[in-house]
Amino acid sequence: MLGIEAVGLSKTFGSLKAVEDLSLSVPDGQVLALLGPNGAGKTTTIRMLACLITPTSGTALVAGYDVLKQPALVRRSVGVLTESPSLYERLTAEENLEFFAKAYGVTDPAERRLRISHLLEILGLWERRNDRVATYSKGMRQKLAFARAILHKPPVLFLDEPTSNLDPSSARLLREEIHSMSKREGRSILLSTHRLEDVERLADRVIILRNGKLLAEGSPHEVEGRVFAGERFEVKLKAVMPEIRDRLLGVEGVKEVYVDSGAGMLNVTCESIEDVVPRVVRKLVMDGYDVLSVKEVQGSLEDAYLKLVSNDSENVRE
Amino acid sequence: MKFDNVALVFKKDWVEISRNWQVLFPVMVVPIVFSMILPLTMLNFPSQTGALGPLQGLFSNLPGTVKALFLNFDQRQVIFYMVAVYFFAPFFLIIPLIAASVIASDSFAGEKERRTIEALLATPVSDSEMFLGKMLVAFAAAMMSTLGSFIVYISVVDTISLGLFDGMLILPNLTWLLLIFLLAPTVSLASVGLTVTISARVKGFREAQQINAILIVPILVVVFGEAWIAVILGPVTIAGLVGVFVLADLLMFLLGVRLFNREEILSKMT
Ligand SMILES: Nc1ncnc2c1ncn2[C@@H]1O[C@H](COP(=O)(O)OP(=O)(O)OP(=O)(O)O)[C@@H](O)[C@H]1O
Ligand SMILES: [Mg+2]
Repeated sequence: MLGIEAVGLSKTFGSLKAVEDLSLSVPDGQVLALLGPNGAGKTTTIRMLACLITPTSGTALVAGYDVLKQPALVRRSVGVLTESPSLYERLTAEENLEFFAKAYGVTDPAERRLRISHLLEILGLWERRNDRVATYSKGMRQKLAFARAILHKPPVLFLDEPTSNLDPSSARLLREEIHSMSKREGRSILLSTHRLEDVERLADRVIILRNGKLLAEGSPHEVEGRVFAGERFEVKLKAVMPEIRDRLLGVEGVKEVYVDSGAGMLNVTCESIEDVVPRVVRKLVMDGYDVLSVKEVQGSLEDAYLKLVSNDSENVRE
Repeated sequence: MKFDNVALVFKKDWVEISRNWQVLFPVMVVPIVFSMILPLTMLNFPSQTGALGPLQGLFSNLPGTVKALFLNFDQRQVIFYMVAVYFFAPFFLIIPLIAASVIASDSFAGEKERRTIEALLATPVSDSEMFLGKMLVAFAAAMMSTLGSFIVYISVVDTISLGLFDGMLILPNLTWLLLIFLLAPTVSLASVGLTVTISARVKGFREAQQINAILIVPILVVVFGEAWIAVILGPVTIAGLVGVFVLADLLMFLLGVRLFNREEILSKMT
């Protein structure tokens, strides 16, 4: 059974296209991460898939149900960590979870109690279970909202920025929980995040959105690869002249050159480091540059992301 | 519709409200004003002046049987009886309206304002379950406050009438019992339905209250008029009105659920 399968989703608010023609799929046991700057349309996408708002156009199957025709069944089969914690401040942590467990049909009292106490325990909220949520810190609310999302063990999970407001060790705890839910329990998870660490550690696939449009899609590794389209190395020189870029672009195998004249650095993208580094160094020496060092660069998702969202050039779609 | 879910929403809201003084305060103050402070001043005031005054209009409309009863009363007793049994009757339809309006206004608008609505909408609880649960909370509070007021009021009235009428307790009578136990609930349920419907469509509590205040003025005028007619004309008229309002309640609920557009709430929030 397919976890999430969306085709051509769009949502417009007035004249604003919040999400445009977005298609995605998340098979059982996989984690798909939505990445993108503020206002990219991540929350809107999640809301459409969780039947919280109706798409302007497009369709989606979630846990095998049609979001347009079977919203009640979709709601029953998914857990949602909403962008704002959405907890009842005048109720205690336990009362909140109790309410949502019942609302999601966890009817057996013993089972309910067990799950609630287990989650409060592992999230470190057990001691504070009888305190009203109004007295909770941001991170505590975030954890409680996470507990609410997974309480009823849904086959499909939507997590909108699960690690925001969390300290590093709590963030790691949640990541481990998310990882085991997808890999051990086979749930499909769609999450949005601003932490690239989350993506690198959790996501099987990533979608980068900007202004509601898909910029890139693939495994985190593929996305890095596609953005930089090759291997990279850095050359440190004693001094750099601007025209060096054009000269190096003439060297066989060189695909792209970034020049940082202030730092005296060249960043070269090429097909194969083994072949190109010797040629580039030879060229530089022949042109009279003093080469201080040459270093291979490991592609990072962060670099890829920053390049993608800042770049106004053409999309890097497949 | 699953009644478990209705009860679930009801209970959750009930606990929240019981911890929310902003909402609780008017629910408690209104009945105290209408059942104690106003009656105590009104019932003592005419007994001293001894004039019929503004009650003249009411008096001329009373049925013959009541006028006949008055032949055995002195002036102070007539005035007391009229004020206690007739003049105050409409207030007991107003108490549930006002008490419910605060809670009903808060129902959905409050959840939007406190940003709790999203998680609620994400649950499998259906539109009608949610709607009914929220209606019943406001309704229950309204009826509690009406019943409380009623008990206080008849205690006040009967304490005075014990002395004034030589041991006679003038309330409750059949008309009042029908008024409190049938007409007040049905009238209040209709207004709760209307207010919850509004609450689901506006952005915040304040806005819901404002629209409610505008709507409630004409309703109050109608209610006052009807209530006087009802208590004067007696049980049969009240039974008829109850029938009308039962229908109105049903229509209001169906209309409210129909107008409740779950997937538009978050889109229109900002
Ligand atoms: N209810 C709404 N009414 C009008 N515009 C909206 C509404 N919800 C979202 N938008 C707009 O849609 C766009 C996408 O918003 P969305 O919340 O999906 O972004 P996001 O990717 O989640 O951003 P962030 O990282 O800040 O959470 C934004 O321009 C936002 O202003
Ligand atoms: Mg967001």
